[in-house]
Amino acid sequence: MQIRVLLFATLRDRAGARSLELDVPSGTTVGGLKVKVASDFPKLRESMSTVLIALNREYAFDEAVVPEGAEVAMFPPVSGGASELIVPASIA
Amino acid sequence: MVLDFPTILSVTEQELDLDDLLRKVTLPGTGAAAIFAGMVRAISSQGILRETAYLHYEAYVPMAEAKMRQVSEEIRKRWRAVQGIAIVQRIGRLDPGTPTIMIICTAAHRDSGVFEAARYGIDRLKEIVPIWKKEVGPDGEAWVEGSHPTGLQS
Repeated sequence: MQIRVLLFATLRDRAGARSLELDVPSGTTVGGLKVKVASDFPKLRESMSTVLIALNREYAFDEAVVPEGAEVAMFPPVSGGASELIVPASIA
Repeated sequence: MVLDFPTILSVTEQELDLDDLLRKVTLPGTGAAAIFAGMVRAISSQGILRETAYLHYEAYVPMAEAKMRQVSEEIRKRWRAVQGIAIVQRIGRLDPGTPTIMIICTAAHRDSGVFEAARYGIDRLKEIVPIWKKEVGPDGEAWVEGSHPTGLQS
């Protein structure tokens, strides 16, 4: 199935795109999706260990299956609040 | 008579208007409002002092609004006396001194949990609402990443 993955913050900067188009088998899990992104998009490989994934605007974990037609988003830990880690934009 | 308790949730690029928000969460029986506002700092400390020219806030808007709704529902479950709730986040370019977040909880009296409710609101927001900020200063730009969250499921 074709899925579109929305990217935010560091992920978008690193990919140089607002979204990715992927072709994955039905039944692909969130964990499988990360493996696929890491292999197809080397610039995002490093991000895959800390990235958060949302399916239909709800946080999803590695075991979750990506439903057909789901809204999929990928982003770093949120930072509306306290700053914990600074990622220089030059490498972002 | 059934009173509708107002819940105001939004992600906006407009200037936050405290008076307007207060009006929207004040009912005839409201006697207290606890207000939290978060501002952009001109100087931040990351071990060393860093100067910030401005911040750029970005949100995954539809999910942010859904998560704000979740936070407001959690507040209502824990503090039954809370009447109005406002959670508003400003995004886009924000200069130092500018409020970027306002959380207001109202109730009949100040001892009804409003302080704790507003505190809970900002803590949860920082934990689960998908909003990110990029600091822009004299030495360039840097995304500020949060720690890996622990409370996503609860």
